[in-house]
Amino acid sequence: MTRIALQLLLRRLLLAIPILLCVSALVFVILRLLPADPIAMSLPPGATPEDVERLKRDFGLDRSIPAQYFIWLGKLLTGDLGTSIFFRRGVGELVSRALPATIELVAAGLTLGVILGVAGGLAMFAKRGTAAEQAIDLSTTGLMAIPEFLWAILLILFLGVAFPLLPFIGRLDPAVTLPPTITGFLLLDSLLSGRWDALRSALAHLVLPSLALAIGLAPLVMRVLRSSLLETILEDYITQARLRGIGERRILIGHALKNAALPTISLIGVQGGFMFGGTVLVEMIFAYPGLGNLMVDAVRNHDLPVIQAVALIYCVLVLAINAIVDVIYLAANPKLRAAS
Amino acid sequence: MTVVLEAKGLAVSTTAGGRTVDVLRNIDLSLAPGRVLGLVGESGAGKSMIGRVIARNLPGAFSVSRGALHFDGRDLLTISDRDRLALLGRDIAFIPQEPLTALNPTLTIAQQFGEHLERLGVPRGERRARIVSALAEVRLRDPQTLLDRYPFQLSGGMCQRVLIAMAFAGRPKLIVADEPTTALDVSTQAHIVQIIRRMQRDTGTALLFITHDLRLAAHVCDEIMVLYAGDMIERGPARSIINNPRHPYTRALLAANPALSGPRLRLASLPDQMPAISAFADLPGCRFAPRCPVRDPACAAGGFEPLSLGDGHIARCAPGCLSGETQAIAPTALAPWPVARSDAPVLQVDNLSKRYGGGRTLFGAETPGVNAVLPMSLSVRPGEFVGVVGESGSGKSTLARLVMGLEPPTSGAIRIDGKDVTKDAPQARVIRLDALQMVFQDPQSALNPRRPVQSLVTQAMESPRRRADAVTRLSRAKALLTETGLAPEMLDRYPAQLSGGQKQRVNIARALCVTPRLLVADEIVSGLDVSVQAQILNLLLDLREARDIGLLFISHDLAVVRYLCARVIVMQNGAVVEEGVTEEVFAAPQHPYTRALLAAVPPDDVDQPWPVEAA
Amino acid sequence: MSPRAAAALRRCAQSPRVIVAAIILIAAIAVALFAPFLAPHSPQDQDLINTLLPPMWAVGGDPSYPLGTDTLGRCILSRLIYGARVALYVAFVAATGAMLLGAALALLASYFGGWVDWIVSRMVDIWMAFPPVVLALILLVGMGAGVNKVILAIVLIDWTRFCRVIRSEGIVVMKRDYIAAARLSSFTNLQIMLKELLPAVSPLLITLLSLEMGIAVIVEAIMSFVGLSVEPDVAAWGVMIADARQTMNQAPWGVIFPVFAIFLLVLAFNLMGDGLRRALDTRLLISRGAA
Repeated sequence: MTRIALQLLLRRLLLAIPILLCVSALVFVILRLLPADPIAMSLPPGATPEDVERLKRDFGLDRSIPAQYFIWLGKLLTGDLGTSIFFRRGVGELVSRALPATIELVAAGLTLGVILGVAGGLAMFAKRGTAAEQAIDLSTTGLMAIPEFLWAILLILFLGVAFPLLPFIGRLDPAVTLPPTITGFLLLDSLLSGRWDALRSALAHLVLPSLALAIGLAPLVMRVLRSSLLETILEDYITQARLRGIGERRILIGHALKNAALPTISLIGVQGGFMFGGTVLVEMIFAYPGLGNLMVDAVRNHDLPVIQAVALIYCVLVLAINAIVDVIYLAANPKLRAAS
Repeated sequence: MTVVLEAKGLAVSTTAGGRTVDVLRNIDLSLAPGRVLGLVGESGAGKSMIGRVIARNLPGAFSVSRGALHFDGRDLLTISDRDRLALLGRDIAFIPQEPLTALNPTLTIAQQFGEHLERLGVPRGERRARIVSALAEVRLRDPQTLLDRYPFQLSGGMCQRVLIAMAFAGRPKLIVADEPTTALDVSTQAHIVQIIRRMQRDTGTALLFITHDLRLAAHVCDEIMVLYAGDMIERGPARSIINNPRHPYTRALLAANPALSGPRLRLASLPDQMPAISAFADLPGCRFAPRCPVRDPACAAGGFEPLSLGDGHIARCAPGCLSGETQAIAPTALAPWPVARSDAPVLQVDNLSKRYGGGRTLFGAETPGVNAVLPMSLSVRPGEFVGVVGESGSGKSTLARLVMGLEPPTSGAIRIDGKDVTKDAPQARVIRLDALQMVFQDPQSALNPRRPVQSLVTQAMESPRRRADAVTRLSRAKALLTETGLAPEMLDRYPAQLSGGQKQRVNIARALCVTPRLLVADEIVSGLDVSVQAQILNLLLDLREARDIGLLFISHDLAVVRYLCARVIVMQNGAVVEEGVTEEVFAAPQHPYTRALLAAVPPDDVDQPWPVEAA
Repeated sequence: MSPRAAAALRRCAQSPRVIVAAIILIAAIAVALFAPFLAPHSPQDQDLINTLLPPMWAVGGDPSYPLGTDTLGRCILSRLIYGARVALYVAFVAATGAMLLGAALALLASYFGGWVDWIVSRMVDIWMAFPPVVLALILLVGMGAGVNKVILAIVLIDWTRFCRVIRSEGIVVMKRDYIAAARLSSFTNLQIMLKELLPAVSPLLITLLSLEMGIAVIVEAIMSFVGLSVEPDVAAWGVMIADARQTMNQAPWGVIFPVFAIFLLVLAFNLMGDGLRRALDTRLLISRGAA
């Protein structure tokens, strides 16, 4: 099992390299279509054309697009993500602060979404054929009609403004001092340094944004799990298990769930990747200092080096989630294990 | 004498078109320990329904409406769910039809079998040993190595053995086996039947054996009950049913079954097919009456009591019919096989082979290939019927696809009228498709569900080369329907509105549209009931008479091949192992595989012991 | 019409989901078409004396502004009505464009297989590595802002949604013997694709189209929310939400109405898709979110 899993990860990694090369080239080309001049935008009104030329040279923007790309790629391989035009700081530094925040948010959103989704899916299955199932089904359709960024706004409106129960700005209460940076992950650092006040505040700040993401995921998980359970219990082997006198509960847990989980796992893989897209606006709305916030600012300022780098990191994150879910799928599906 | 299972006047009903109809009625049976009762009928006869009543596993809209059903002295119709659950697996066990899907793909053999043993009260420590001995009992080799395998890593025959071992593990009083061999290859079928029979004899279990194959039932069962459209029409000792069938339907069923030995008789094919459940309400009396060759008007109107014919042989039919004109169903002798004329062959295949995969990966590692067809040669002359026989994986279907140009061959040559068409170039395709057409195996898949019949049968006239106006197409469609024995009303029907036999006729009609000289037919009767199969086989013989058309007939069924084809080619694992004149090959098979195939078919003579216990 | 198609149509017409969705959509289309007659004010008219008015039924409401006003004193109802034009325009054009591109590539990939399929599949792989919102932002930075750019971005991003599903369904259909039979009837490749393959995947296509329209509405709202879609003088729901967010504490209505409008329209498209999926008996993955 471990050997097969490692093989799979290796194959995934080999496949990721050409994908990331294509992605980065694609991003590069698209951004060079830009009608506006990012340099001119970042300079004060009094700047001379010479200033602009000098800066363009500094950022390498005076070369041909392929040349720019290969310079950028070469620097990337040495770990240099370039310099932000707007902040005049290393992109690497900006990203390294934002990345753990986003990963923490997605991890929380994914966990919450899967828990809610699986619970809901099982509930729907248990109530199959009743009016309750119909009601849950309709409400999931309703839930799915509201995208993450609107959930973010609605949650702030109800749980932040109307009934101020939870904080909705940033990652930490301004009154709480930052725990020492050990891993960069706020929750982990608070835990490791025993800063319970920071942990509590960070958790409270995570509830609303992760909930906004989770509400987007949960109905999908519910529906897929429910429909694959309904399909699975019609299979021959379920009938045959019933004919051996095995009880319904045992059939559900021991026979049906294991098979029905497979489509749900692949759904979570795809959706987990998309959740990073959801964080972009959710982070912006909650002023949560992650990659999404960085991205939106960079888009507004036409900060090309930052956009390039952040886009690439998003792709790495998506591919990583896909790889993790692949391993889980492999562990759950003996047929796949036998094939490789 | 004790009785394990007893049914009296059992009826199962449902509603169809607002009316209540009996889908099963007047079922009387009793089964003693150690005895085997065969339930025989074509699809839709209601034979599986009886097993479902026993398991209380009827589909939603069906329910038992009358009668009684007792198992081991307990009333199965009123027993509580809890008590019924306690009986299942312990006292009543089931052997399924589709072994590959009847085992959970995410659990190992040991896990599933272990769960069953846990229910039977076998202590955890003893389970693995018990499984190993149970698997050895069903003649599975190296049972130890199977324990941690998953079902999809085993063949269908192996899965069925595992399921048989599980069924017998609780030493049940009754086993219900529903078409346990239908999904398996011919040679595996015989082994499975043999194992079930031996285990059943050794344990003294009563066996309810459900099958569509009357001849198979005759060899397996002590008693046979023949069902038609939910009615028990004949019941009696197996030998008596086969040697002296009394009901016209039973006689027709036997006469529709091609034989492997003896004189070749034209199959007596009943018109039409078994009525669907929706038609039951309009058949108050004998449901067979509309198709019965000796019917009298009284039959269709009223019911009649079963007639005892002595020796436990019972038939539900009017006395007049039973005694009357048996001649009406008696088979007529058939002209000898079409003789191969000395004409030049239409189709000639030289050293044709097909290998899948076997390339190199990106990194230069060799991947293992599969030889679907090893180099082989064959030729078919005008008007000649050639059979290709083999089990699944023998390469016979690949051969058909190669001949038709649906797949490129790895090596070899295909010639039509002496012209090379091996490469699928436009020129070659024109020559090939003017001479050759294909009838596909599964009409469900071969007929586009969105086209009506008239568009299907003349779809070749949509091709740029044959484009025709609507009037021409319609008249062509009408002619094709007449030729294939379909009523003109069918023109505007869609595949979903046709029966299996009708679909296969449309399938044939479409192939005839371009007036080919040779048909390639891949397993075209394997999905059909015996009486419908007989209709299609006779249609092919008639087409030969009318059109002088040749046929490359691919089948796993030796008896059907003998009925149609003058020459036969036997394939195994992609290779031709034997070929020659059908009668000679079947009478004196040279290759061990041909002998094994022939031995696997239940013989026509009930007194000939079968299956022969192999070493 | 085949009885199968007739039965599917009957099931559609009887599906409560489809009926509710159709009512909402017809109403929305009517509102968008007749916006100048329905809106009490011009969507851009500012009334700086009456800013942040609550809806007419709340305390301090003004009947001439039925749903109140925003920070600049613009009529919320009028802006909602005109916003429907943008949302529906983007929904229909972008979803159709994405369908045409995605379905064409999917048909080619599933019909020809081999290297054609390889290239299309690798393209999908690359596209799937981007979270759609991120790709949309990049495209709009590159191409510049504007409604038509948003539409182009949606087409260039969401063709994969069609392509993935239609391709895998197409591969299943290609294994059917009736495709081989069409080949043996000397059909041309184009004939087989259009007469045999396309009709088989069309129920799926229609269902996906409906779901994609909902997604397009959301993407447009996101892009106008971050200021990358409509011109400043055009009313769009995303712009309204972004504007009203600043004053959410005093005037929550400014946010709630446009959110509700988006919800209703997306719900209608989803209900339609859901109803069609059931009625046309297509087994497909449940739509993924817009992000």
